[in-house]
Amino acid sequence: MSNTRDQREQKLEAMLQARRFEPASPDLTERIIRKAQHIPQNQTISLSQWVRGLFAEFHLPRPAYVLVSTLIFGFVVGFTIPQYTITADDTDSISVQSFLYADEDVL
Amino acid sequence: MVLGWSEKDDHALLALIQDGSHDAFAVLVQRHTERFYRLAYRYVHNRETAEDIAQDAFLKLWEAPGRWQPERSSKFTTWFYRIVVNLCLDWQKKKRPLALDEELPLADERKTPETAMIRTQEQQVLEHEIAALPERQRMALNLCFAEGLSNQEAAEVIGVRLKALQSLIMRAKATLKERMKAYL
Repeated sequence: MSNTRDQREQKLEAMLQARRFEPASPDLTERIIRKAQHIPQNQTISLSQWVRGLFAEFHLPRPAYVLVSTLIFGFVVGFTIPQYTITADDTDSISVQSFLYADEDVL
Repeated sequence: MVLGWSEKDDHALLALIQDGSHDAFAVLVQRHTERFYRLAYRYVHNRETAEDIAQDAFLKLWEAPGRWQPERSSKFTTWFYRIVVNLCLDWQKKKRPLALDEELPLADERKTPETAMIRTQEQQVLEHEIAALPERQRMALNLCFAEGLSNQEAAEVIGVRLKALQSLIMRAKATLKERMKAYL
């Protein structure tokens, strides 16, 4: 019984190893090599190259870069410098002044 | 071509390919096309498609040689088998059901026509049964029996442990033995 099983196993393995196979075209290797001649390689690029490439992709004129940079700079400066806040003393002085000059002439 | 390049090992050639060397690429293609074509053929059972898959795999390597990272893979062939298998699986997902080529030459033409016919029929049934196996079992059989990879290498290609691979092969063989009963 186990002998028959071994024989079946052996036959199956022999069949698996002798599976049919159609050889490739003789020019396959040459075809691959020839095709690769016309394909550029993708090199790994650094961040600065990527940014440069991105700008090149959009074809923006130089004044546009200047404008955008100035705007960004303005926003950054605007947000980083502390804003002028009105204190209680300032409010008082304004009120007094407006009271004094209410009728154009100093009272 | 530079003399002695054919003596360079795969890793050295790949380093040169990463520097853009067409000669190194040519040597690598000449060395390995046959085996990767054969593996693709086991999946697609069609010469043109298998050739396209082998070609795609090599051209992908040429286009992006940085994908090969020697510190991650032990052997180029193990890594590249995985690429070819993935391309075959992609192809199969798009092209199911699998159509086996009926026009293939007989396995052994020295035999009598009757024996040869039986042999061809056996092979066709075997191919159908292998195609019906679960994906990973089929992959394990193809790599270990058809390509002659060691169990360890095949396990690396499939991305499983050695024990798991042995279990895949055992189950595949048990299924085939049952389904091929009439021919064994």
